[in-house]
Amino acid sequence: MSRSKIKKELVWAAVFLLLTALMINFLSDVLRPAQTSYGSTWRAFLAEPEDSLDVIYLGSSFTYCDVNPAEVYDSSGLTGFVMAGSEQPLSITYWYLREILKTQSPSAVVLEVTSLYFKPYQNYTQKNVDLMPFSRNKLGAIFTASEPELRQGLLFDLYFYHSRWKEVRPDDVVRALRPTQWDERKGFTAMQGVLDGVGETPDVADREVAPEVYADNLEWLGKILALCRKHGIQPILTVHPSYVRCTPEVYARIGQEAEKMDPNVIFCDWSNAFAEIGLVPNRHLYDGSHLNQEGAAIFSAWLGRELTGSFGLTPRPQTPENTAAWQAAAAWWNDQSAQ
Amino acid sequence: MTFLSAPFFCFFPVTVLVYFLLPRRGKNLWLLLASWFFYLCAKPVYLTLLLAVIATSYLTGRILAGRKSRGALAACLGLDIVLLFLFKYLHFALSLAGQLLRAAGAYFSTPALEILLPVGISFYLFQAMGYVIDVYRGKVEAEESFLLYALFLSFFPQVVSGPIGRADELLPQFRTEHPFDYDRFRKGLLRFLWGAFQKMVLADRLAVLVNTVYAAPGEFGALQLMGAAVAFSFQIYCDFSGYTDMALGVAQSMGFTLRENFAQPYFARSISDFWRRWHISLTSWFRDYLYIPLGGSRKGTVRKFLNVLIVFALSGLWHGAAVTFVVWGALNGLYQVAGAVTQPARERIFGALHLGREKRLRQGIQLLTTFGLTTVAWVFFKASSLGTASAILRGMLHGPLWVYQSMGLDRWELLAAAAGLLVLLAVDLRAARRDLAGEWLSAPRPVRWLVLWGLLFACLIFGSYGTGYDAQAFLYGFSF
Repeated sequence: MSRSKIKKELVWAAVFLLLTALMINFLSDVLRPAQTSYGSTWRAFLAEPEDSLDVIYLGSSFTYCDVNPAEVYDSSGLTGFVMAGSEQPLSITYWYLREILKTQSPSAVVLEVTSLYFKPYQNYTQKNVDLMPFSRNKLGAIFTASEPELRQGLLFDLYFYHSRWKEVRPDDVVRALRPTQWDERKGFTAMQGVLDGVGETPDVADREVAPEVYADNLEWLGKILALCRKHGIQPILTVHPSYVRCTPEVYARIGQEAEKMDPNVIFCDWSNAFAEIGLVPNRHLYDGSHLNQEGAAIFSAWLGRELTGSFGLTPRPQTPENTAAWQAAAAWWNDQSAQ
Repeated sequence: MTFLSAPFFCFFPVTVLVYFLLPRRGKNLWLLLASWFFYLCAKPVYLTLLLAVIATSYLTGRILAGRKSRGALAACLGLDIVLLFLFKYLHFALSLAGQLLRAAGAYFSTPALEILLPVGISFYLFQAMGYVIDVYRGKVEAEESFLLYALFLSFFPQVVSGPIGRADELLPQFRTEHPFDYDRFRKGLLRFLWGAFQKMVLADRLAVLVNTVYAAPGEFGALQLMGAAVAFSFQIYCDFSGYTDMALGVAQSMGFTLRENFAQPYFARSISDFWRRWHISLTSWFRDYLYIPLGGSRKGTVRKFLNVLIVFALSGLWHGAAVTFVVWGALNGLYQVAGAVTQPARERIFGALHLGREKRLRQGIQLLTTFGLTTVAWVFFKASSLGTASAILRGMLHGPLWVYQSMGLDRWELLAAAAGLLVLLAVDLRAARRDLAGEWLSAPRPVRWLVLWGLLFACLIFGSYGTGYDAQAFLYGFSF
């Protein structure tokens, strides 16, 4: 084979490999299940205009069930987005924040810290990590925060989802063609009703976690705080109202440890602040740990007032289109609450 | 590490790239180290046995090069057979002895042995035995280079499941240079992809149906049992032929030609024809090193039939240490004996029906009969015991035609399997007459790309792999 023919063939081989990679990527997008609630809603997050969010809410289900950014906006004018994940350990939260900061420059990060008591690998690593856009941060999450046995599938997610070929509908193809999709829920998941017996007696007991796991979690928290410092973001660590909670002493200790890592940090233990917020436990808790839709609306409105009042956050200017979009989202939730 | 694992997809590109970049002097050493690494990934302890077999058969070859020592040959073959017996058949022999003694009223407790079967032992021991016999017979020169001989037995595309190589075919290839040949490389990758298609889309999908039915044959109707038996015929073909295609494809991409193992076996028109097309490297090994030394067909008809039965019973035993495998082998031997005995009568019947040898109807009848006979024999191969095999065969003749019960695959899965089998049929029909890889290479670029994408995406979408999938080991893989 002549030199020029070899060159030509190499170019064609490269084109073939590129096209194959693109097709595999598209196929993965088609076969990956849609995620519009229960955290990790990256598709909706990426539809937000760049640098338009004032606050990012991080954490686990305590965040995506309790904080409704549209209600926060309605009470305070602060735009925000919940980028939490089911049982999300702080290691994954760190990589989430790094990825978030590629498109947003929030004034504050509100992090619910129950995840300090999570094990290194909880039950939802696949969902938490796999839905991240492919990037160095996703690779970081795969190699530092995911179970080794999941890595193959997290790197090549047809491994997880290819058998969904029987369930694929035209909607899935449309979704793959449109990688971002604006959503008025802003990462919030509304829980309906109150489970039987909830809100009667609080379960106050210390969560059990091995000291080395807790130390690891503190280390990841330190990295999150350092990242906030680097980007001039106010970190606000919170514990949400809950009937499954630790003792006040435990939360006080967390506050002290966080303050040691970053004196600028704000720590708020709202675990027993039901009356102050206006929540009625047997009406506004979905289960012992999470608020229902009505409870989340009350808590979010109160949170918005706290963020602007007590913590001095101010809404950033928005384009008229984005202002209209946020007002529409708030109105949509008001309608939902009224129903 | 199997051909269809993530580690192999890292191992193979690195091995190939370094192989082509290295100067000629270093290529074989690199291949040997890569092959040993590949083998080590199965289990480190296995490598010591492979090294021992390499060392003993190499030394025997060197001794035989000096003088034709029957004793040295016998010692080497004896050692190989003892190793095979110890690692593969000791437990089977003890449990068989225990059953016989207990039946005779004697007390015998079969000891619980924890002997792990070394990967590929049946393949590389046969290859080593073939080599020393060939040297003894003067068919090949004893290899002087230990490195080349070690590579001959360890070459990673074939060390786990063959094809069982011959010294006169493979050793010279390690002595010649294999510069990068883009066409060979592409053909090799295409063949690998076709093998992956057979394994992932067909064999492992059919395995779900087959395993479901074979696990509880009493719960299914006659048609379902027949369907499962037919499905297993295709499963084992796609599994082993798929593996062989991957092995040959891997070797071809580096410039090596391994022995073909399959030639459209289900197009065979008789059982003896089937065995000329199925697992050719093993069948020819038994022919050259056992059947012919036993006398072959040179010592009269009765002795020939006896030789056939011995060879096929041993071939059955080679496939697995269980009575079911021996029955499977013996049944194939019996088929051939019966075929030879009844041939004149069958010729007369076809003659009376004016069905000459080349008549399509006659070919079809022969093809279907052969397929039916092999399918019945495969029942013994697949069944976990003779009792299960006979329950399946009885169920095909008695009981309800159909029992409404899941056979493990939903209708979409069955549709995918049927579509895959049609592709297999089309490819085998065409491959019987043409050089498919050559045709593919001379096709316009868009056609070539479509073929590659078709196979690749069939594997990626419809293949059996990933989370929740219970990987079926290659049927001829780690347990041989």
